[in-house]
Amino acid sequence: MKPSSLIICRCEEVTIEQLEQAYQTGSCTSRQLKMKTRASMGACQGRVCRQLLEAWVHDKKPDSPRDAELLSYRPPIRPVTFGQLAKDES
Amino acid sequence: MKSKRQQSDLIIVGAGPAGLAAAAAAAENGLSVTIIDEFPEPGGRMLGQFHEERGHWWVGKRIADELIEKNRAQGVLIRCGVSVYGMLKVDDMWEVSTSHGTMLAPRVLLATGAAEIPMPANGWTLPGVMSIGAAQVMTNVHYVKPGKRGIIVGVNVLAMAIARELSVSGVSLASIVLPPSGPFAGKAALPKENLQLLMSLSHLAPSPILRFGGKIANALGLAGIVSSLFPRSGIKLWDIPLKLRTKVVSINGTDRVESVTLADVNGQGEIIAGSEREEAVDFVALAGGLYPLAELASIAGCPFIYTPELGGHLPLHSERMKTPVEGLYVAGNITGVESALVAMAQGQLAATSICSDAGIFGHNGESKVAAAIEEVHRVRASALIQFHPGIPEARRKIYRMWQETFGAGV
Repeated sequence: MKPSSLIICRCEEVTIEQLEQAYQTGSCTSRQLKMKTRASMGACQGRVCRQLLEAWVHDKKPDSPRDAELLSYRPPIRPVTFGQLAKDES
Repeated sequence: MKSKRQQSDLIIVGAGPAGLAAAAAAAENGLSVTIIDEFPEPGGRMLGQFHEERGHWWVGKRIADELIEKNRAQGVLIRCGVSVYGMLKVDDMWEVSTSHGTMLAPRVLLATGAAEIPMPANGWTLPGVMSIGAAQVMTNVHYVKPGKRGIIVGVNVLAMAIARELSVSGVSLASIVLPPSGPFAGKAALPKENLQLLMSLSHLAPSPILRFGGKIANALGLAGIVSSLFPRSGIKLWDIPLKLRTKVVSINGTDRVESVTLADVNGQGEIIAGSEREEAVDFVALAGGLYPLAELASIAGCPFIYTPELGGHLPLHSERMKTPVEGLYVAGNITGVESALVAMAQGQLAATSICSDAGIFGHNGESKVAAAIEEVHRVRASALIQFHPGIPEARRKIYRMWQETFGAGV
């Protein structure tokens, strides 16, 4: 197995190769890479790969800022059904 | 029409050491408290933790049981198997959205703990590969062996502590080896850096080589030399071979883990050609370390600071565990990765701070908070397991930043 085919986002099955391609075509921050490749946008909402994505970008550009805002969190932060969403309404 | 929604004085998210300690203390002072946790039973990661400390065993589950009993006696409502997926401040009330409906409270304490950082390697998506924490939960919480014979990839405090637990529980471990080099492991893939880490842990190590060797080499700054002298076959840590000059190249198998490919490395972490070999294992535990789990602080609008010594991005907070967001408090590993004992002391402190802000202590609030802060310092200084040598200084930096930003008296 080539290192580039290593999956880093398991939910969306994004490989290092895909991050590399996105980076080469101008997605340079963790946020841009997320938008382009869907890394950290899957069912776990980045709980597993967020750190990896950040580490990868930082390795590419060591002086890039460590900004928590780049990979933002939005509710719902856990998978939730429509039934659960509607639970308060009767 | 809205159905009747449950209201308390304080909602605590997380029923681990920090959350349980805070709940008991807050309820003792008269607050109505609800704890929410997504795991089916309370206790957090204490449920699977145990280690030998100065001649006796520290058993997390026992501590958790005592705290849970205390909470029940104080009338704390513990709701397990409930996930929080959002929170929003409406007027002076937090609306906490959960999988079981909305709950209300003027104050919320986030004690959500930490999550694991994965350590990706070729083949890490095969069944049988898990995080070291998952191996711990399977073995010590559910009493299911993760496999017949496994290997741990990654050398850090968490890996060493859990390796010991697994071995005591009768799980067979082939060895502890270094992770593959690259952006994800960084310095964790280098023999010298790992030896430096072990030296800072040498008071914990049972092996005389590590104990005396660690102290001497540390004093002389000899990590580089010692790492090149470190035996290739590894040394036994308890009964597990710790191999600081061996790394994993890939995890192999068709439908599940069948083996790992290992290789020897030189002092720079480069693979020595021809040293690759296969080792048969049926599970692999990846140890990448921990980071503060702070999603809720983020959606509640709390600013973050980056502090590598404490595990990365964490919510800005004062020494009394307050965030800049009115009515939002933090305690435990969400404020930085440390041991369960520190988390419990932080939970006590957060509860004291919350009760003081609620006006329960009258004029005595400040002195009670100061005493609780002192207690956190005391516990931190006496903690046997230090996750990072720079913790006290990193904490001082955060509190200084808070002072500069928000001034005194907040």
